[in-house]
Amino acid sequence: MIQLQQTSPLTTEYLESLGFVWHTDSDATPYVSDQLVILSKAEAEAYYKAGNELYDMFVAAAQYVIDNNLFHEIGIPFNLVELIKESWETDIHWHLYGRFDLAGGVDGSPIKLLEFNADTPTALFETAIVQWALLKQNGMEETAQFNGVYEAILDNFKRLVTLEENVATFEACYEGWKFLFTSVRGNSEEENTVRLLQHIATEAGYITEFAYMDEVEFDENEGIFYNQEQYELWFKLIPWEDIALEEPDLAMILTNIIKNQKAIIFNPPYTLLFQSKGLLKILWDLYPNHPLLLETSFEPLQNTKQVQKPVFGREGESVRILDENITLIEGTEGDYDNHKMVYQTYVELPSDSKKSSYQAGLFFAYESCGVGFRKGGKILNNTSKFVGHLLLDS
Amino acid sequence: MKYIKTFSAIAASGVAALLSTGLTGCEQRPAQEQTQPKGAFVIIEETAPGKYKIKDEFPADETRIVLKKLDNTEKILTQEEMDVLLAEEAAKIDNGTSNLTNPDAQMSMQGGMSLGEAILASAAGAIIGSWIGSKLFGNQNYQNNRKAGYKSPSTYQRSKNSFNKARTSSTKKSGFFGKNKNSASRSGGFFGG
Repeated sequence: MIQLQQTSPLTTEYLESLGFVWHTDSDATPYVSDQLVILSKAEAEAYYKAGNELYDMFVAAAQYVIDNNLFHEIGIPFNLVELIKESWETDIHWHLYGRFDLAGGVDGSPIKLLEFNADTPTALFETAIVQWALLKQNGMEETAQFNGVYEAILDNFKRLVTLEENVATFEACYEGWKFLFTSVRGNSEEENTVRLLQHIATEAGYITEFAYMDEVEFDENEGIFYNQEQYELWFKLIPWEDIALEEPDLAMILTNIIKNQKAIIFNPPYTLLFQSKGLLKILWDLYPNHPLLLETSFEPLQNTKQVQKPVFGREGESVRILDENITLIEGTEGDYDNHKMVYQTYVELPSDSKKSSYQAGLFFAYESCGVGFRKGGKILNNTSKFVGHLLLDS
Repeated sequence: MKYIKTFSAIAASGVAALLSTGLTGCEQRPAQEQTQPKGAFVIIEETAPGKYKIKDEFPADETRIVLKKLDNTEKILTQEEMDVLLAEEAAKIDNGTSNLTNPDAQMSMQGGMSLGEAILASAAGAIIGSWIGSKLFGNQNYQNNRKAGYKSPSTYQRSKNSFNKARTSSTKKSGFFGKNKNSASRSGGFFGG
């Protein structure tokens, strides 16, 4: 059973003053819970180690996909393969940050990887800022939180230039390359997530600017431009597979921009390998029965309660829980029904006294750097709530 | 662990500053209407009995495929006809007999493609056949073989250029994801358990 600590909620006025404008869900309920998950330091330590170990495994699995040309098998659009290989080759395509979604780890149940949101991770604002503000507003200053997300991303921004663990040489190495931050127009959650990243990059020491996606200009020989200014560094909170499928021309131009070394794009194209749930199957092949993994297959698993989910899908769409006889128990509608599917062994999420399920979101920026929780039904979707945590030694 | 921090450590960082000032410049601007062509107008020519090539293609608001047959008659393919042809091609991709994914097909397709192959190789194929796209994913041969479906190499280049120009007349291209963009929000977290 999940242990919870009641707090006084943050006011919507205060949240909006921070730029956190997506505080209320469409059913008028608050998106951020006024309770905090109680975590022991040992549990936080275990999350930290799990993230670091998983990341190394993802790197090995991605290398295996590249070496054995398994892009098709894990659902990678063909028109990104060249770009992915190109970005994998050199360190300048540094992975800024990602978020592991994990089952367990909090109530004595083992940590199990559900998936890795490596390309366009959200819940950043909630994890880095809002859950900490909850502690602060409730006078819990003396209590620690496993939350160095802001600082870890700030350091990792500096590593885009230093390309090593040490970030002390950033000021000496930074040659004034400009950093453009981009989201699509009309989605305040995505826009302010990107603006938070821009804020962190500015604090790290970059010259930064924000532009909506439709305002950004691309030239395969010249690079990436906004308002006649060239930007050598570009962050986009837009999934790579959407670029491949919805804007194939752009995928082609970006391939050439990277080949011509006119810009560096974050998160790098190869993070789509991590993002594909097809990689979960590769991981199981490479690390069978690893304690952090759930068995995953491209075919329905035999005699196992399991979850069927699209290799690329968002907001819990087109996810189905199947019983041992591959009969539907519970499922969601969605736009991804025709996509390639993987089948992952079902695992019970930790729950509270009201039977709400909790899933951990572990942020990774060069190393594991912070955790937050989402609570909802058996299938978490875009109506799930964010729940912060506090560390107590027990 | 480096990132389990106490209040005093975090208070010195930018988080505290952000908590007191918030993000600046978060104004919401009204969405701009974009007028991008969403479809393709494709002319496919029968060059020999059962052999087809893409004669020309242009950006258009709707996707239309005009078929010029050997007897010089022309017809516009209906959605049903396109669906049947694409389903046949999808089956060929599945069982490995599609020329589109055959590494040696460029020579054999010099004389033209089947009608389904030509449609998939055209700009329309990317639009109406997007559900097949995943079957072509990762296939290095597809892009090369596409070119064989065009009546002449210059048609391929011209076609590519006209689609690029549809966005803007300069060499810089913009306006991507102008509308109807799927959400990337709260990505993941799909599976509860």
